[in-house]
Amino acid sequence: MEILAIQILNSLFYASVLFLIAAGLSLIFGVMNIVNLAHGSLYALGAYITAWLIGRAIAGGSGASAIWLFLLMPIGALAVALVGAVIEPTLLRPLYRRAEEYQLLVTFGLLLILEDVMRFVWGGLPLTADTVVDALPIVRILGQLYPAYNLVVIGIGGIAALGLWAFVYRTRFGVMLRATSQDRRMASALGLDVGRVYILAFAIGCFMAGLGGAIVVPSQAAVLGMGVDALVLAFVVVVVGGLGSLKGALVGALIVSFVRTAGIQFFPEVELAVLYLIAGIVLLVRPTGLFGTA
Amino acid sequence: MALLQTVNLTKRFGDFRAVNSVNFTVNQGEFLSLVGSNGAGKTTLVNLISAQLWPDTGQVLFEGRDITQATVFQRIRAGIARSFQLVNLFDRLTVLDNVSLAIFSREGKARNLATLAEGDREVRTEAMDVLGLFGLDTKRRLLAGGLAQGERKLLDVAVAYALRPKILFLDEPTSGVGTRDKAQIMDTISAVVRAGTVTAVVIEHDMDIVFKYSDRIVVMHEGAFLADGLPAEIRVNKEVATVLLGAAVPG
Repeated sequence: MEILAIQILNSLFYASVLFLIAAGLSLIFGVMNIVNLAHGSLYALGAYITAWLIGRAIAGGSGASAIWLFLLMPIGALAVALVGAVIEPTLLRPLYRRAEEYQLLVTFGLLLILEDVMRFVWGGLPLTADTVVDALPIVRILGQLYPAYNLVVIGIGGIAALGLWAFVYRTRFGVMLRATSQDRRMASALGLDVGRVYILAFAIGCFMAGLGGAIVVPSQAAVLGMGVDALVLAFVVVVVGGLGSLKGALVGALIVSFVRTAGIQFFPEVELAVLYLIAGIVLLVRPTGLFGTA
Repeated sequence: MALLQTVNLTKRFGDFRAVNSVNFTVNQGEFLSLVGSNGAGKTTLVNLISAQLWPDTGQVLFEGRDITQATVFQRIRAGIARSFQLVNLFDRLTVLDNVSLAIFSREGKARNLATLAEGDREVRTEAMDVLGLFGLDTKRRLLAGGLAQGERKLLDVAVAYALRPKILFLDEPTSGVGTRDKAQIMDTISAVVRAGTVTAVVIEHDMDIVFKYSDRIVVMHEGAFLADGLPAEIRVNKEVATVLLGAAVPG
């Protein structure tokens, strides 16, 4: 029973991070109709930048109180959003009229570049930021010890999900965003500034990925290749949930996380295979995913 | 002074002159109908005026200013709006959001993007006023895709109207709807024009409707103007009758 509670918490922790990545991927696809293969690398970039910032802050010895370190996480995510705001108008915008293969080639090229940039800047050694985890207490849950930091991550995931939902469905920009995603030509005929919607949507998607990296890095160090691993899992999430759907990203992230946590516990040899099997079955039965639209 | 004027406006598609040196004038406050057979150049002319297409030669003047080079957005800001032949609605947005979008568009970049749509009193009130005018206020929460054809046509006009244009171009606002809906759509449009808030240019095929509602009628044929006059004059114009009747009989 106690083990189960911890496993559920672990799944929720994992789901929070996966949701942040997959929601950004899904948002970008929903609005721009682009499958961003570099999305996992943007998540890794968020992790690296945040770990680096936290490392600098600690080395600088600026009091290094935990609150300060927590503030560095959104800054890491914002940095990634900024990268996104540069990438969209320069690299992606010329490609919207081209065939999908070109978009895949460009975002794949971007993936390779980002991976190499991270290797060049931060080297091959893992970059840790576990001071943040240590800054928070270990709490006792049903007699089991559990880092309070993980609960914070679960909280951030929940808040991010709510925040993104509110943003897309309750704000003025959200209305423009949904209109543009339904019909770009019509939105621009109505006089909406589609270019600005695109750049903001892409930056928000990148922010979500960067935030995912920022909150994961204190408990799992930033390592080369983490972006590609995350991309693969994010694809499983959006295949199950439906590409372009926020609800799908949330449900997909929960399903993948719970299955994976159970997999690590009960069938570690085929843990990933089971995930692909689920994705495959969803593709066969409901090609658009659980919440996707055709 | 004319509200809108085109000077020798020409658009070619290959060798085909879709709009051939047209001098078109629209006066403030009138309800003008643009008629003619398919391919006469009516929609192309409206596309040139609303910047969906760029002319090969000629000018578009609005309130005396040359707007030939102005973009869609600039023309909307100047006060030119249009609806399309095929209904142009965001089907997966609510009726209210469709109208609100037009208001956002009109206001441009100045306003805060993160404003909560629900708490956005002014926009909401204005959108509701527009919906009320077109008899759609009770449907505000429905998705636009769930409306009946006549209602969709009305909403389409309402969205263009919410841009608060000085001149409103409507491309076949009554195509594909029943007789009763047709009357309602035209009565509504006519009422807002009569109220003095907007000038309307309507592309329409149904001549009964054209004669009933128009202040002035312009007849196009093969990219040029064939006739321009009051409904009573157009009704007795033999040339017009031949052209329009010829179009009504296939082949």
